[in-house]
Amino acid sequence: MIRVENLSKSFGDLSVLNNITEEIKEGERVVIIGPSGGGKSTFLRCLNLLEKPTSGRIWVEDEEITSKKCNINAVRCKMGMVFQHFNLFPHKTALGNLTLAPRHTGRMEKRKAEEFGMELLERVGLKDKAYSYPAQLSGGQKQRVAIARSLAMKPHIMLFDEPTSALDPEMVGEVLDVMRGLADEGMTMVVVTHEMSFARDVGSRILFMCDGIIAEQGVPGKFFTNPENPRTQQFLNSIIQT
Amino acid sequence: MIPLILSSIREVPPLGWEEGLLWDIWNNLLRGDRPFMLLRGLGISARIAVFGAMIGWVIGFSVALIRISKSKILALLRAITTVYISVIRGVPLLVQLMIWWFVIVGSADADRLFVCIICFGVSSGAYVSEVFRAGILSVDKGQTEAGRSVGLSAFKTMTLIVFPQAVKNALPALVNDFTILFKDTSVVGFIGMVDMLRAANHITAFTFNSFIPLITVAIVYWSVVTPLIALMSRLERRLRKSDSR
Repeated sequence: MIRVENLSKSFGDLSVLNNITEEIKEGERVVIIGPSGGGKSTFLRCLNLLEKPTSGRIWVEDEEITSKKCNINAVRCKMGMVFQHFNLFPHKTALGNLTLAPRHTGRMEKRKAEEFGMELLERVGLKDKAYSYPAQLSGGQKQRVAIARSLAMKPHIMLFDEPTSALDPEMVGEVLDVMRGLADEGMTMVVVTHEMSFARDVGSRILFMCDGIIAEQGVPGKFFTNPENPRTQQFLNSIIQT
Repeated sequence: MIPLILSSIREVPPLGWEEGLLWDIWNNLLRGDRPFMLLRGLGISARIAVFGAMIGWVIGFSVALIRISKSKILALLRAITTVYISVIRGVPLLVQLMIWWFVIVGSADADRLFVCIICFGVSSGAYVSEVFRAGILSVDKGQTEAGRSVGLSAFKTMTLIVFPQAVKNALPALVNDFTILFKDTSVVGFIGMVDMLRAANHITAFTFNSFIPLITVAIVYWSVVTPLIALMSRLERRLRKSDSR
């Protein structure tokens, strides 16, 4: 579904991603963990070209998005993205946030978009907040609206960039629940997170990224109990201690 | 009936106004053509301010977009806008106005009002462009990323997501700039426009009284600007509804 070949990215002299080759299949729930500055977020943001790779090629559903001919807007319609800081549109209501993209990319007309939007809000448990502005919502509610906003485009792939890192601890659960629901429905997901229990329960494959490479990967069971790379062991130990 | 009273007041002072302050008020503000001299002057100021501001917004918006863009094709245009802004900001408005009239136009037959509007528009464009630029830059980068990530084009992301927030952020400064522009119209007398201030000077020339005409001009300026600022604060509060700050 997503194929990455020799992907490198550097900001000036700083090399962030170093020749990564990876493939993500349909229905997989790939969880990326690793220390800060290891390139997790940059890797994720390259997948929908929010960051332009310095070199390398990326295919999404057999379309090469790093090619000049590619219409990236059309590809992004198929890929939802959830941000650490929600990035809801503050001048729109919750429902307005959901209907904006479907309406203005010509996917749905207003009425249909609103119907579908209400359906999605109900699914994330926020139907009663449809006409609230983002400023009137809690962090957890904002993030659930943000997830619903991505789903409004009926994406085939969802990318999550540390979706719970900016939340108060008591709100993490409600967001993870929504993500678990998505995983149960078979959505292809790529999740950058520090929530190890989520990674273990929901992930079908764990990627450990540090220093711009995928240092180790594997199924959660083996990965967490029996990591091979000393760097992974060190990282997991430091997490367990805190 | 009322026009009759008004026109008779303009001939002779009302009873009991024969001396002192009341007579001065009548002599300077009501007598003969004098009230209309001031009103016509106010009309001139208003026209220059309103049309000048419109031109200023169009110029300012375009210049802001040029200055924000990173395109290499626009590099020359960007350099021009930098010079434009530095010249306008560094030269007093009165000097700009006199250069427009005596140097650039240089003909006494030209339409003074038109030249004033162009001068004020070009001048205000420089200030407004900085206001718009700050407004656009004040919108978080995450907003653009969110817009692009749901598949909106760069143009739609700008118009649907960034601009509404940018204008909201810029609105107080825009109104502030407009009130300054309006007050600055008091310099147009220097190229022979009869605005309110120049009309007041004309009245003084007849009555040898500068107190009443000048204080009147001050009060009129104040009473136009103050409601604008009050309206602005109300509007601002309403727009802030979607904001937690």
